[in-house]
Amino acid sequence: MGEAILFWFFGGLTCVLALLVIVMRNPVHSAMALIGNLFCIAALFAMLDAHFLAAIQVLVYAGAILVLFLFVIMLLNLKDHELGNARQTATKIAGAILLCWVAFKLIFRVMPSTTAGFPAVGDDYGTVETVGRFLFGPHLLPFEVASILLLAAILGSVAIAKKKLW
Amino acid sequence: MITLQHYLVLSAIVFSLGVAGVLLRRNALVILMSVELMLNAANLALLGFARQLGDTTGQSLALFVMTVAAAEAAVGLALVLALFRGRGTVNVDEVRSLRG
Amino acid sequence: MLGYGAVLVLVALGGTIAVVFVGLSRYLGPRNANAAKLTTYECGVEPVKTARERFPVRFYLVAMLFIVFDIEAVFLYPWALLFRELGLFGLIEMAVFLMVLVVGLIYAWRKGALEWE
Repeated sequence: MGEAILFWFFGGLTCVLALLVIVMRNPVHSAMALIGNLFCIAALFAMLDAHFLAAIQVLVYAGAILVLFLFVIMLLNLKDHELGNARQTATKIAGAILLCWVAFKLIFRVMPSTTAGFPAVGDDYGTVETVGRFLFGPHLLPFEVASILLLAAILGSVAIAKKKLW
Repeated sequence: MITLQHYLVLSAIVFSLGVAGVLLRRNALVILMSVELMLNAANLALLGFARQLGDTTGQSLALFVMTVAAAEAAVGLALVLALFRGRGTVNVDEVRSLRG
Repeated sequence: MLGYGAVLVLVALGGTIAVVFVGLSRYLGPRNANAAKLTTYECGVEPVKTARERFPVRFYLVAMLFIVFDIEAVFLYPWALLFRELGLFGLIEMAVFLMVLVVGLIYAWRKGALEWE
């Protein structure tokens, strides 16, 4: 019962905040809604017994990625007229219809999934050690390739952004 | 009772909000944020499957998705900076010099 | 699932205290604003210009390097917990991972991304 209340609370909040991310005109407001959204998703991760991933979600997303977003927003410091004109009402309605269509299609696809309830898992499920054993065992190659990806990210962003902005 | 189905439907809703953001918004920053939403929805589904199967593989994969998200944010935001430097705008519909 | 009760209580308590304090000071405190009171507080000095100006791009580079090495730390954490179990093989795995990232660090360094001139 408590789990259901928590799921509906965090799940509902996740949807509302995700909607706010895409409707807010000011990117700072979008970023703030995204932070809340990521925290709610971290709570849902914890409810799925993914303890390590829940902590990493807060650490990496709220702690690093959103900081980078806010830095770029402050760097650009867009004035109101630079945000462009607001959409026409007809475009907004068309967007809402598109959104409902995509959501309906996806939900229709996942509805046949099991409703049997989650099986019990051991105490060590989702802990740092368990994830680590997968990371440094069967997923060794993706782990090493991730370092190449991060290298590409460093090279790419330094090369693109190094020139003076003004 | 909260089952896998609940989590998958939630993931589908967040994912479609992300899709709508990418398709409808013109501000490149918000488009990148919508991509983050979609990656998070995928992570939620992955962790739901992992929990249902009692298998940690999905959690390990979700960790890699987060790595990709971080790399994507770093390079994507560098591109937004370069776009602003070159064109003086971050609205993607005003960047059309390649259109014939 | 269990064991997060304390975290929930902490978040709820923290949120309540923040809302109550801000709300009380807003609705109980007297408000008679004038131009001098509404200026930005700069320790008594007149503000020189607006605080909302464009930031230098160096902030972006620092934050970007922070993200990449934050992810690296995330991977180091389970490795450190499993260090004895993995033994020499784990050490080599992590050494390869770190070597690749050090290449990126050297590149950023040589390009002057770490300088704050």
